[in-house]
Amino acid sequence: MFEPFTDIVPSFFGWLNQGPLTLTIFLHSFIVLPMFWIYKQEKNRLENEK
Amino acid sequence: MASNHLKWESKQLATWYFTFAAIIFGAQLLFGLIAAIQYVMPGFLFEIVDFSIARILHINALVVWMVFAMIGSVYWLLPDETGIETVGIKIGKLLFWVFAAAIVVVVLVYLLVQVGPADETTIWFITEGREYIEAPRWADIGIVVVVLGFIGNLYATGMKGKPTGIVTVLMADMLAFAGIYLAGMFFTDNISVDQFWWWWVIHLWVEATWEVFVGAIAAYGLITMIGAHRKVVEMWLWIEVAMLFGSGILGMGHHYFWIGTPEYWWEIGALFSALEPLPLVAMFIHVLYDWGKQQGAAHQRGEEGSVITNKPAFTWFILQAFGNFLGAGVWGFFHTLPQVNLYTHGTQFTSAHGHLAFFGAYATILIGMMYVAIQGSNGIKVLKHTKSSIAAAWMIAGGVMGMTVALTIAGYVDVIVTRAQMGATWAGYFDGHSGMWMLQGMDWRLIMGVVTFLGFLFLIKDFLSTGKNAVHIR
Amino acid sequence: MANKSVWSDNRFWQRSAAWVTGFAAILLIWLTFDTSGQISMGSDADLKNGVTKRVPGPTVINYKITYEMDTKRGHEVPVIGAKEKFFGRDDYSEKEAGDLLHLGKLGSQAKNCMDCHTLLGNGAYYAPDLTKAWLDPAWESTGSMQAMTGKNTKEEAMAEFLQFPSKYPTHARMMPNLGITAAEAKGLVAFLKHMSSIDTNGFPRNFGKIQGALNGK
Ligand code: HEM
Ligand code: HEM
Ligand SMILES: [Fe+2]
Repeated sequence: MFEPFTDIVPSFFGWLNQGPLTLTIFLHSFIVLPMFWIYKQEKNRLENEK
Repeated sequence: MASNHLKWESKQLATWYFTFAAIIFGAQLLFGLIAAIQYVMPGFLFEIVDFSIARILHINALVVWMVFAMIGSVYWLLPDETGIETVGIKIGKLLFWVFAAAIVVVVLVYLLVQVGPADETTIWFITEGREYIEAPRWADIGIVVVVLGFIGNLYATGMKGKPTGIVTVLMADMLAFAGIYLAGMFFTDNISVDQFWWWWVIHLWVEATWEVFVGAIAAYGLITMIGAHRKVVEMWLWIEVAMLFGSGILGMGHHYFWIGTPEYWWEIGALFSALEPLPLVAMFIHVLYDWGKQQGAAHQRGEEGSVITNKPAFTWFILQAFGNFLGAGVWGFFHTLPQVNLYTHGTQFTSAHGHLAFFGAYATILIGMMYVAIQGSNGIKVLKHTKSSIAAAWMIAGGVMGMTVALTIAGYVDVIVTRAQMGATWAGYFDGHSGMWMLQGMDWRLIMGVVTFLGFLFLIKDFLSTGKNAVHIR
Repeated sequence: MANKSVWSDNRFWQRSAAWVTGFAAILLIWLTFDTSGQISMGSDADLKNGVTKRVPGPTVINYKITYEMDTKRGHEVPVIGAKEKFFGRDDYSEKEAGDLLHLGKLGSQAKNCMDCHTLLGNGAYYAPDLTKAWLDPAWESTGSMQAMTGKNTKEEAMAEFLQFPSKYPTHARMMPNLGITAAEAKGLVAFLKHMSSIDTNGFPRNFGKIQGALNGK
């Protein structure tokens, strides 16, 4: 399941680089997903303000 | 620029910065012309002002005039935003002279001394030899001190007065802008490490901090020139900050494909930088949409005529919306995937992108801010176009666009012949560079460069004369 | 106002901007540590023990370097081979080689090489890329550049050219005389040789493999 490194030195980021897009999708998700949480908090705040 | 109408000292100081910036802009274009002539006639000024020297002056002048105009823009808008006079204005004025004098010395040394022996004294006093940031180390340190003084003023004013969203963004952004410069100040024997940090300065400036800066300036311009609503404008500004930094910071990976850095940068660089055009589309829509909206609303109120209170400045802001999107967004995206960049890296195509992006994203809006200052300095309510301001906009924008097209065509030859076909050797390079499309591309770049320069002369004529022109509404 | 949307709320975007910026910055710093480790220069011991480093140590100048296709990685990589003489010696110590490289790197900056050429593909586009210049066939014993300078080795030919470039024009576009001394030229050639040994993930592609494709009559 896990691909061998194509890069010459093993590293965490090299390991996430498992094939097309795996590394970048992981990083993008990690950045975007917490915005849902910010969204929920702000929604609550706006509802309570009323 | 007459300043008798300016009640804020901060705005007076801004006009000094703008004036110096405009002069250096002229120097930038002149040295660009010398370099462009050398492409066509290699003997021109050979071993007098070599291509390398002309080019250093061309791109260092570019960075310097833009930084001056950026500082000027902040001093200009601070009183409007915070409602108070800038704190530390005396220091600000002193720093202006220190900065300007240092620049003059650096330029004279570039021009008269040019190169030095291979030791540390050259790095300290003549040139650091690293594209864009060749300035010798003493000047680096001076620049940091001067910019920290400027940032001190910005923070003191922002904290004492009303910190609007625009000012808040500027405060954070300018600190990052200055901090990043430190990454470009050290020497290392390891060329990979050298270029790794060099890109921190170049990329994180133009594709992160400067972009956010122009986002803030555009927001200010929309509020003051067409009366857009602050709340809407600032919401867009925050969205832009999120998108610009979200894509631009890791988008730096598109410079780490081939400099010795690990392969994982292929993915990171490709896919973060591929998103960089998105905020530029957003900025484009935002500026044009707000304009249409304000104009439509005025129309409904039964008001005739335009809502724009500064026609030339707004023209340059609109040119910025197009230029940023085309030069950075479209031309940038062209070569940002590693599969493409393997062949386009460091070719005339890069130069095409560099020109349209720097011009489109930054030169335009900063020229716009100079017009804003002319309006304010002369106490004009509505600043209108003159023949010269129209000629300047057409010729400069058209000239740079023409240079970009010429360089893009030359770029294809470079990519296909020098790189793909010939494998980038010495002989391959000259095969590419003696191709017909390349030679004609270089001719056209020079012709379009001359058009740009003539446009610049109209611009200066307009700067000097429009304040007195009777067409404006006072 | 009923049901104000979060999407048009400034605070939501402000917080999102802060989060996205902060986290991207943290990732960049983390990546920088990771990359810095990988691009730090190797040592003489690494070279002797055949440890592959992305950026080998300065004593790589004692070895022959070639640029070969690596089928696993799918592109060309520099390959460090047997011993090879460099200015008549193949036993430069770590200190000697390091000093030469230091001189050469300083020289590359003091003479503004990057403002005509590209190094690792970055710089100016007025002259050929120098990333793999050391491996350019033109400098080999059968190459035109070595023949032109009348020297017998690649390094001597390059050093000669660097000192008196306008004596050896190849095209109307010439390299100017930059006041490079014999010692500096030696350092610069060491710097170029070292640079050619850096693993650039296959840039430039097909370097030196195709000759005369365009004018190959
Ligand atoms: C206003 C924003 C921008 C400016 C002023 C700008 C300017 C430049 C300049 C001057 C260079 C050449 C650097 C050198 O001399 O080596 C460059 C390179 C590059 N830019 Fe931009 N750029 C901008 C935005 C973008 C964007 C949004 C993208 C991608 C979508 C992009 C992609 C690239 C790439 C891939 C390179 C490397 C070219 C090569 O490998 O030779 N740029 N940029
Ligand atoms: C009179 C008009 C101009 C002429 C003739 C001109 C000419 C040149 C030349 C010959 C180069 C060197 C390219 C190379 O190394 O091959 C250059 C580089 C550059 N110029 Fe201009 N230029 C002009 C205007 C501008 C303007 C208006 C801007 C931006 C506002 C600009 C930004 C740049 C940048 C960023 C580079 C470095 C590009 C890179 O490294 O990729 N130039 N210019
Ligand atoms: Fe970039």
